[in-house]
Amino acid sequence: MSLEQFKDRNVTQNYKFIPVDKPPVAPMDKFKQVVKRTFRGELFVGLWVVFREMVKFNIHTVQYPKEKLPISPRYRAVHKLYRLLESGYERCIGCGLCEKICIANCIRMDTRYDENQRKEVTEYTINLGRCIFCGYCAEVCPELAIVHGGRYENASEQRAHFVLRDDILTPLDFLKEGKQEEFPGFGAVSPNADERIKKTPLAY
Amino acid sequence: MTLTEFVISTIVKILVVLGIFSALAGFGTYLERKILAFMQRRLGPMHVGPYGLLQVLADGIKLFTKEDIIPQNSVKPIFMIAPIIGAATAFIALAAVPLLPEFEIFGITVHPIISDVNVGVLFVLGVMASGLYAPLLAGMASANKWGLLGAARTVIQLLSYEVVTGLSIMAPLMMVGSLSLIDINNYQSGGFADWIIWTQPVAFVLFLIAGFAETNRTPFDLLEHEAEIVSGYATEYSGMRWGMFFIGEYTNMITLAFLASLIFLGGFNDWGFIPGALAIILKVSFLFFFFLWTRAAWPHVRPDQLMWLCWKVLLPLAVVNIVITGLVLMI
Amino acid sequence: MSEITIKIDGKECKAEEGEFILNVARANGIFIPAICYLTRCSPTLACRICLVEADGKQVYACNAKSKDGMEVTTLTENIAEERRAIMEVYDVNHPLQCGVCDQSGECELQNYTLEMGVDEQHYAIKDVPREAKDWGLMHYDPGLCIVCERCVTVCKDMIGDAALKTVPRGGEALDKSLKESMPKDAYAMWNKLNKSLIGTVTGDTLECTDCGECIAVCPVGALVSSDFQYTSNAWELNSIPAACAHCSAGCHLYYDVKHTSIDNPEPRIYRVKNEWNYVSLCGAGRFGYDFENRVEGKDEEAFKRAVEAFEKADTIRFSSTITNEEALILQRLKEKRGYRLVNEEANRFRKFMESFSKTAGTTLWSGDLKSVHNSDFVVSIGSQLKSDNPRARFAFNNAIKMNKGAGLYFHPVKDPVVEGFGKNLLCINHKPGLEEAAMYLILDLFGEKEAMPKEVVEYLDSFHSKGTKTVEETIKEKVTETVTKTVKDEETGEEREVTEEVTKMVPKKVTKEVEVDLNRLLDILEAPEDFSDRMVKMLAKKEKFSIILGEDLFCHPRSENLARLAGLIQRCTDFDVVILPSKTNTLGVSLICDLDDEAGEYVVGYNAEGDFVLSASGDGDLDMPALNQQEGTFTNVDKRVVPTNAALGYRGYLLNDLANALGLKAELTIEYTAALPEAKGYKSFEFDDLPNRYTNSGEEIRGYRITAQSVEPDEAGASHIDESAAMDGDVAYRCNPVLQFNEFTKKSHELETEAKLYLSAERLESLGVEEGDRVRVVLPEGGVELAVEVDKFIGGDIVMVPDFDPKVGAERIFASNRYQNVTIEKV
Repeated sequence: MSLEQFKDRNVTQNYKFIPVDKPPVAPMDKFKQVVKRTFRGELFVGLWVVFREMVKFNIHTVQYPKEKLPISPRYRAVHKLYRLLESGYERCIGCGLCEKICIANCIRMDTRYDENQRKEVTEYTINLGRCIFCGYCAEVCPELAIVHGGRYENASEQRAHFVLRDDILTPLDFLKEGKQEEFPGFGAVSPNADERIKKTPLAY
Repeated sequence: MTLTEFVISTIVKILVVLGIFSALAGFGTYLERKILAFMQRRLGPMHVGPYGLLQVLADGIKLFTKEDIIPQNSVKPIFMIAPIIGAATAFIALAAVPLLPEFEIFGITVHPIISDVNVGVLFVLGVMASGLYAPLLAGMASANKWGLLGAARTVIQLLSYEVVTGLSIMAPLMMVGSLSLIDINNYQSGGFADWIIWTQPVAFVLFLIAGFAETNRTPFDLLEHEAEIVSGYATEYSGMRWGMFFIGEYTNMITLAFLASLIFLGGFNDWGFIPGALAIILKVSFLFFFFLWTRAAWPHVRPDQLMWLCWKVLLPLAVVNIVITGLVLMI
Repeated sequence: MSEITIKIDGKECKAEEGEFILNVARANGIFIPAICYLTRCSPTLACRICLVEADGKQVYACNAKSKDGMEVTTLTENIAEERRAIMEVYDVNHPLQCGVCDQSGECELQNYTLEMGVDEQHYAIKDVPREAKDWGLMHYDPGLCIVCERCVTVCKDMIGDAALKTVPRGGEALDKSLKESMPKDAYAMWNKLNKSLIGTVTGDTLECTDCGECIAVCPVGALVSSDFQYTSNAWELNSIPAACAHCSAGCHLYYDVKHTSIDNPEPRIYRVKNEWNYVSLCGAGRFGYDFENRVEGKDEEAFKRAVEAFEKADTIRFSSTITNEEALILQRLKEKRGYRLVNEEANRFRKFMESFSKTAGTTLWSGDLKSVHNSDFVVSIGSQLKSDNPRARFAFNNAIKMNKGAGLYFHPVKDPVVEGFGKNLLCINHKPGLEEAAMYLILDLFGEKEAMPKEVVEYLDSFHSKGTKTVEETIKEKVTETVTKTVKDEETGEEREVTEEVTKMVPKKVTKEVEVDLNRLLDILEAPEDFSDRMVKMLAKKEKFSIILGEDLFCHPRSENLARLAGLIQRCTDFDVVILPSKTNTLGVSLICDLDDEAGEYVVGYNAEGDFVLSASGDGDLDMPALNQQEGTFTNVDKRVVPTNAALGYRGYLLNDLANALGLKAELTIEYTAALPEAKGYKSFEFDDLPNRYTNSGEEIRGYRITAQSVEPDEAGASHIDESAAMDGDVAYRCNPVLQFNEFTKKSHELETEAKLYLSAERLESLGVEEGDRVRVVLPEGGVELAVEVDKFIGGDIVMVPDFDPKVGAERIFASNRYQNVTIEKV
């Protein structure tokens, strides 16, 4: 896949130009225009339309705190840190790409060399007070470890509440119940990923 | 009827009218919000009380308890008086309007009109016209350019359309031969076919258009056009003073609805099987609804279009209508 | 060496005859990919990616010498194919751990893989288990290793430890059919790669001087600092160019700075980087970086007391680990308030240089470390190179390795590291105190008789005598033999015997007496018997000479005479002389400050002892910023004023604040940079105008060089050798172990250690103590109690007392001489 194709978001620019008549200049033309507009009954069409809608009573209001719209799984609200499905270890490998790509500069992580000779993420914070929920972190994450969740209600009294890491990490019991669902948004494996990669030969 | 009785009954009527119409003005805002919402596929106020009914109350409490802010450079006495003029004139205009047919309660015959002036129409129109001082003074006193613009627009709009209102009801009055609203009402007592609207449709339309303009309703609400001049003359107002403008506006709408019903739509005469009291309430309600309906459906006009419409279309039409009516009456 | 012109990709490039094409290309901004080649080291030919076409023939740019008029094409179709195949091979079995790898994007494997457009893999081979190894300060992960052998090369050619080598990898051999199907060079490179990994010479552990240069040169994340590993991505770090503050080399380096952690936004230094193509760091520079002095804020009380102390004081004692600007502030304070400036160590150096200039005719030495790198005959006298100035040692080693050079190393302490530099190196472990003899020997061997003062020539002649020597020579003799052999007639098939006469040359040993020139200097120095013969061989085809003179000479009872001899060497021989200042900025201090000999009654100490102590190590009466928290300049061994920048902030008071309180006026310390004394060779440059970089061709553009002043030399020559100064018996030497220089290296967390008594393994045995035992070291000027530690990098009987810990007081005890007679008692 070439870069050009990748950049094409399949948006066709389908603009229509509406011809606009020149406004009449002569008094008679103006009068004609008034007559035309008056007796075309457009005013009454307008009245009819709104009346019809009132009678149909097809209400679209969502009474927000009581009712909530189902949000798209690709919605980008407060992040989640995922765990590996079987072992339950954190998926995050501490590569720091999210930290790097974050344009609001709100992600920070501390890492160290742990006893198992692996890179361990000892602390991870997202300053949600600063986050603009652009989704770059989820897109760049090579392990699908950080994703966006659906929790968008994050008004709080203190800024400190915007950095809680434990809130975004999948709880272990939650994981065991199989409730950790894969994120289909930016950064997820595309359905045709297999076709798009070239296989590396293996000697065993 | 003794003088005492007269005074007492008048005071009672005044209080009832004041109470009911203030409440109606409030309730009118609720209705407006609801109807507009329904027409726009929304729900409108829902949270305060059942179906948001207590929203009016909540708003009232809010308006009453809000801090009364008077801008530093305003002309303070005038700034403070202006809204009172608005509300007062609206209610005073109602004095000469027969609201319902006569009825008896506790053995007392009630004339549901505060004062049956024999030039009722003139009185009502005159007082309503003097209501123009409210926005004019408010806008000029508040030391705010939007206020000033709003005031200027008010003056040109109200003055212009005052002419059309007067001329448009001239023709029905010529037919009735009286300026008393009760006489006009009684002129149409013959039933549906007697309604003046059938003989004076042009006058009705002109009156209605002019009425819209005079009550500052869409499509003619130029004086507080949010997109252009913030809130016009009311920009600097808040709390109850602002609320009084509102009450005045809604009361004016009701007054106008009454006038239109009485002059053109058969007044409080019985309408077929519908008793007269109910009939006029229905008519007024419809007209009130019509005010809201147009607001939901129609766009604003530009000030120049407004003036053009008034002086070049409506006024000639009204004059032609009077002339034709006169000719018909003579023949 | 003559200037020639070659054409690379159509661009005319000036080059020196015989310069490698790759270096010419780099100097002219032409890109030729290369993985295994290291500037200043010998070509390894491991990666073969620097393939170019020179005059129609494919050669490796890293080892093909340029010839006049040569036409080089850096990219042809075939070369592109080879390069791509090579990168594919490098990617075979390389783990996809880029996410956690410490190279974090600064990876040459990644870069070249992308550069060559490798988007598909054609090759595969079964991998072998490769276990990560912990080598102390270094950590080696063979899984990531691409066996470019840069670490091996730099360790051997530059550092001189030769502690790394390639070891067999094991595993399957390549499929033979690949030889036909693969590009030729890629196959050859893979064949080699597939057989080897990096290992240590000593087995599982790494025994070296821990310079960490292998970490710097590693193109991938295979060799990393154990302490830095997995703590930060490279891109998060802010690199601050600076000069190393530990020794007089003043190496260019970068402090990589980042916030400490999520909870602590204070910046801290995570690691040190260097421009490894142009400058090599020692372990102290690389691992001893966090010696900053953290203070909470301005301690106004202490400051007030400091100002009072300064008002009361008549003497300022200070160490030479300060910047030029601070030295100038102290000098200005002296001018204004009449303080005595006391710095014994810099004063010794100043006196030495003064005497030096009287015979040399100039105030400064002629060479620098670059001239040592470029020379092919190097002499070192009076310096424990690996701990006094590791850069000088690298230069020494590099000269011997790269220029087919030879060298002489005069030092009382046996040094296995220097001995390992190569065969063309003669180490002479003379008795302490006989440095004069070594200097005279150099004059004797290399001095131009006409230029030298007459009495020196006469004195040198007095050492020579004629003698005879029995020499065993091998001569070739012509021998004729009769041989009978059987020959088969090809036509008839018959066999018959033929007798032939064969003449051949046969070596034969002959003994004969030869008249030789005997040199008593050699006897004094206890030089090996075949010294003269070896010198003849070592001096063959040598063109560039340099000599390194160290601290032993100026911390010596006869330092004045040694200085005069050094001056004579500079004036009368072809040698480029390099004198190693003893501390970071000793040269700067000795030039800028008028130093006094004696301290007065009330002493303010700046990083030195006194009645009121300003200290950058955090244990004084008023805190001062350490050298990684200050901007300023050093005057280093290359006679260069090099700028350094503040890697970390400092919240407390600076010396400049004190100076302002005492009547001087400068907003910033660096305002003094332009005011450094021009009479001493400094130039009037603003600090912010000082450059600090290397060019692509390796030219050092850092600060500026100070100019030497010429002095009218006196014709007094030098005094005779004081043979009585030779020390016998147990001797202690004031010298730091490798990686330690001062209280700051001691403080840094990776190098943190206690001062100990360092001795060789054989001395440990002869003393009858165990490692870790505490002993009492009794010296003429005082005693000290220390634990014993074996230093693998020394031999012989001399023990070392370190001065990196001021508490030991070695500086005072060894003030008159770096060698002292010692008695060691077990506690």
